[in-house]
Amino acid sequence: MDALTSALKVAASGLGAQSERLRVVSENLANAQSTGTTAGSDPYRRKTISFVSELDRASGASLVDVGSIDRDHSDFPVEFQPGNEAADEKGYVKMPNVNVLIEMADMQEANRSYEANLQVVKQARDLISMTIDLMRS
Amino acid sequence: MEPVNLFGLATKQAQWLAVRQSSIAGNIANANTPGYTATDVQPFEKVLDQTAVSLRATQAGHLGSGATDASFAIKQQDYTGSIMPSKNTVVVENELLKAGEVRRGFELNTAIVKAFHSMMMSVVKG
Repeated sequence: MDALTSALKVAASGLGAQSERLRVVSENLANAQSTGTTAGSDPYRRKTISFVSELDRASGASLVDVGSIDRDHSDFPVEFQPGNEAADEKGYVKMPNVNVLIEMADMQEANRSYEANLQVVKQARDLISMTIDLMRS
Repeated sequence: MEPVNLFGLATKQAQWLAVRQSSIAGNIANANTPGYTATDVQPFEKVLDQTAVSLRATQAGHLGSGATDASFAIKQQDYTGSIMPSKNTVVVENELLKAGEVRRGFELNTAIVKAFHSMMMSVVKG
C-alpha cells in the first residue's frame, strides 16, 4: 500500500481510538451519581480504557486499537444520605468512584490527541493533492 | 539516457517523505499507547549513500538492493529524555515539528518537479 494512504489509515485508527476514549469518559461522567438501588448495594464502577499498538500487515505501519475496557477497582467513597434507597442501616450510601476532575483532564487529553490525529489526516490529504497537482501543470 | 536524474531522485524523495509521514501518523496515533516506542525513518542522505553502492538487478529474480521501499524501513528511535511511567516515548510536539518538515520538503519537491517539467515541455514544444 502506498505510504500516504497507510498514513491516512493509521490516523483514522487514532481518531477511532480517541473517540472510544471520549465515549468511556462520557459514560463515567454521566454515571457520576449513579448509586445502587437496594440497601448497601454497589454503585456504578468507573470504567478505564487502554490502548494497544497493532501492526498493520499490509503496510507495516503501527495502528492503534482499544486494548481493553476495564473497571477501576478503587474504593467507593461513602456519603451520609439516609433518604437514599441504597443507604445501609446506618444511613451511608456508597457513591461511584468517579472523580469528575480526573474525567475532565482525560477528556481534555482525548481532545488534544484527536486534534493531532486530525492534523495528520489534513496533511496527508494535502500531500496527496500536491502530487496530483503535478499533473495539472 | 536522461542527462539529469532529477525525476528519479525526486520520486525517491517523495516516497521517503510519504513513508516518514506514515511513521509520524503511527506515532501520533499511538501517543497514548503504553509501552509504545516512537519510530522514524533513516535520514534521506543515508538512503542516498546506500543507493550509490547498490547492485544492479540484471535478471528477474535478483534481490533488489537499491533504494526500494524496504530501505526506508521504519525503525524504532532511541530516546534519551525522561520517559513517562507508561514507557511511551512519543512527544507530540516533536511529531508535529516533523510533520511540518515533511510538508515543506514535499512542497519543495513538487515545486521543483513542476519547474523541471515545464522546462522539458518548453524544450519539446520549441
